[in-house]
Amino acid sequence: MEGLGYLLALPRFEYFSPKTVEEACSLLERYGREARLLAGGTDLLVAMKKGKEAPRYLIGIKALSDLDFIEYDGELLRIGALATLQSVADAPIIKEKFGLLATACKKVGTPQVRNMGTLVGNICNAGPSQDTVPSLLVLGARLKVVSSRGERIIPLEDFPRGPFKTALEDGEMVTEVQIPTPPPRSAGCYRWMTKRTEVDETLVGVAVLVVADPTHERCEEARIALCSVAPTPFRARRAEALLRGKGISEGLLEEAGRAAAEETRPRGRAEYRKLLTSILVKKALTEAWENLKGQEVVS
Amino acid sequence: MKRLISLTVNGENHEVVVEPRTTLLEVLRDALGLTGAKEGCSLGNCGACTVLLDGKPVLSCLLLAVEAQGKEIVTIEGLAEGGKLHPLQEAFVEHGAVQCGFCIPGMILSAKALLDENPHPTEEEVKEAISGNLCRCTGYSNAVRAILAAKVKEEGER
Repeated sequence: MEGLGYLLALPRFEYFSPKTVEEACSLLERYGREARLLAGGTDLLVAMKKGKEAPRYLIGIKALSDLDFIEYDGELLRIGALATLQSVADAPIIKEKFGLLATACKKVGTPQVRNMGTLVGNICNAGPSQDTVPSLLVLGARLKVVSSRGERIIPLEDFPRGPFKTALEDGEMVTEVQIPTPPPRSAGCYRWMTKRTEVDETLVGVAVLVVADPTHERCEEARIALCSVAPTPFRARRAEALLRGKGISEGLLEEAGRAAAEETRPRGRAEYRKLLTSILVKKALTEAWENLKGQEVVS
Repeated sequence: MKRLISLTVNGENHEVVVEPRTTLLEVLRDALGLTGAKEGCSLGNCGACTVLLDGKPVLSCLLLAVEAQGKEIVTIEGLAEGGKLHPLQEAFVEHGAVQCGFCIPGMILSAKALLDENPHPTEEEVKEAISGNLCRCTGYSNAVRAILAAKVKEEGER
């Protein structure tokens, strides 16, 4: 077929459509770094059109319908590698118990991108500004990774190893994300600011999860994770430590915001990103804490 | 390596020969002559290439044709029936929602997916539904009005 002429065409590659996870892993093992897994395609195919990636082999995994699931057993939420960002954002159980993850998934891309792109793909792309990762970090998510050698669980925190680099070894693929139920007396949220572009890429993303003590007077634990302000998304542990066991006041939340900003290592627009971080962290903590106080009144 | 695939577009089956790297957009435009879907940015940002895949709006510029097999594909050409425009298309005409027209096929398909799932959307829901369809002419206001009016019109005719 002779094309009419396109602005951007994909480079040539060989394509496989394995029918099982085992088959996908053995293809990954056989072709090593010359192969890439293709799920939603909204990151990889763009990178290929731009000439940033040129894998010789694409392993399309859309036929692995066993990986298209969202399951909750009352303790653990499991999201399969083919669950789209939109299906995660829309799942009633996720809106109810993991609201900050639904919010983050809805932030990614456009409706069309969310209908195609997967949550696991967003994580595996491992860019510094992946919106879904901060929420997953504060929720304590883990990844199930499979290869022909067996399977292992990687805490999400150990997964990104630098911009667009992950802890995956040759022949390994992520088959699901596992997320434990948030602790009792907890509330979380995801807040962000974007650049003004056609895709509104995140400039600073902040997820928090706050746990109140039984009296609802003090903060038993706070988790804060940031994206777009360092080579990889990360937990702002010094800011978290400031809040542990403390009564919440506006001054303390402001201090936590400043501490989180100091933990960032932004590459571009550093001063602005640091300022935004301190504001957004305070805002997200305030919102989560108020939400918790609201829970107390209800219960 | 080229391969023969079968696609269901607007209810009709088509057999086409493609390379693995051929996108659905390229097949629709080049092999099937369905030029309603447009190549705007080709990078998944503008939404001009939007088609419905099993009822959901997706970007045909970022979908390999080989991976669209076995799915119901709907393009803007599939909306009118027997020469009569779809209520959404009529509403776009009546509300002056079209200027250059480049973004309109994608925008109407995004709107169709919304109305099929949520027959009585709010204005905010309409704006959200077409947020992945960039328009550089109209500022969106008339398109939003047209979409809100289209459902009423459709129901009135029933």
